[in-house]
Amino acid sequence: MQRTTFYEQISKNKRDSLLLTVFVVLVVVLLVYVMARIFLPESAMLLPAIAVLFMIAQVQMSYNYGDQIVLKATNAQPADPIRNIHLVNTVEGLSLAAGIPTPKIYVVESNEINAFAVGRDPEHASIAVTTGALGGLDRDELEGVIGHEISHIRNFDIRFMTIVAVMVGLAGILSHMLLRMYWYGGPQTRRGERRREGGLSILILVGIVLAVIAPLVSRLVQAFISRRREMLADASGAQLTRYPEGLASALEKIKSYNKGNMDISDSISHLFISDPNRNPLDELFATHPPLEERIRILRAM
Amino acid sequence: MEVKDLVGLSWIGILGILLIVAIVALLFSTYNRIIVLSNQADNAWSQIDVQLKKRADLVPNLVETVKGYMQHEQKAIEMVTQARERMLGAGDVKERMDAGNALAGALKTIFALAENYPALRASENFKLLQEQLDGIESKIAYARQFYNDSVLSYNNAISTIPGRWFAGMMGRTTQRPYLEIPEAERAPVKVTF
Repeated sequence: MQRTTFYEQISKNKRDSLLLTVFVVLVVVLLVYVMARIFLPESAMLLPAIAVLFMIAQVQMSYNYGDQIVLKATNAQPADPIRNIHLVNTVEGLSLAAGIPTPKIYVVESNEINAFAVGRDPEHASIAVTTGALGGLDRDELEGVIGHEISHIRNFDIRFMTIVAVMVGLAGILSHMLLRMYWYGGPQTRRGERRREGGLSILILVGIVLAVIAPLVSRLVQAFISRRREMLADASGAQLTRYPEGLASALEKIKSYNKGNMDISDSISHLFISDPNRNPLDELFATHPPLEERIRILRAM
Repeated sequence: MEVKDLVGLSWIGILGILLIVAIVALLFSTYNRIIVLSNQADNAWSQIDVQLKKRADLVPNLVETVKGYMQHEQKAIEMVTQARERMLGAGDVKERMDAGNALAGALKTIFALAENYPALRASENFKLLQEQLDGIESKIAYARQFYNDSVLSYNNAISTIPGRWFAGMMGRTTQRPYLEIPEAERAPVKVTF
């Protein structure tokens, strides 16, 4: 029974990746079209076409090189097979338990206890753990954390999450551009086009609304989906280690020890096991469920 | 015949075709699922073997390292060597697994005895070997766990509907057996000499 839910989860993740991509592409194309109608009426069809090509290139790139980009951005170094032998053994063991090839293993220099997984599928996946986690967690706790990350890989969460990271970033940049253009440039007006004035002001309104809403909505979607996936990875990670208490006690340590100041870009924060930039104010946009709740659910298993 | 009748007929035709397509799709996906799960279980089985062999490869290293320090524990070292030889001589995976359990027990005895030799425990080489063997021990356990998980999903696939209908035609009605957790791994080791 459990297995079929994994299969369902995997195909759901693949479908969600596609749906989200299509959704964001549509919103962005609409945004670009509105921009083009306002600022460059004669090339209103050309710009959206360019935007689509640009975005296909972006998705393609994040699909192929997303993991490299994230690993570079967090300054992750390949794990040393002798010095980090325990980490390597743990990752290899849990990959066996999950029936996936061993991912590439990295270490991130940081005092915080944290970890993340990236890649497009189990054959092209990487897992990274902070030095704080290696030093601060005992064997069972590290096993719990790695089990959580391995489930992200097995369930194809990583593909979805990498694409989300790129899409959220893109929506933000574009709406920022549009708002800036309103602010400084203003739409060009020509004498021959006075009669289109009424339509234009509606367009401007639509443009502003879209520009304000697009990044907000994409953030909300990111946060909502990410929270659900963290819960799922907690559960299926515990199923791999057969020991939910390991992860529960690791999260306990994270709660009391981490300050949430890893200085990680917001667009990749949802990749981590615990939010690297903790901000008590934005619960609505939090990419992770409250640690207390995760611990409570794990202890009830 | 009136046009209305023709329209009705063509609807029945379309529905019929859709139904056939759905049945064929179900047939294909069920067949593939059973095959994939069966292969997965086979693969899981061979993963256990890979880990067992890796452990056997590490043993001579350990014996070499330990010999110099533990002169008074010839018997325990002898047991490890013997268990390893029996394991290498085993005919099939099942036999190898049983011998492997004996080897695991013998290794645990060595590590328990090593507690009495501080110089040995301080040696970098010994620490690394212990970590490696610990790692392989848990990898074997995880590989067995994955095998049992795979067997569970295979057995479910051939005994639940719709797989049940096809399993007979495919000649795959026998449930695969689960691996039992060996007694040695459940109980803590007692050192008696």
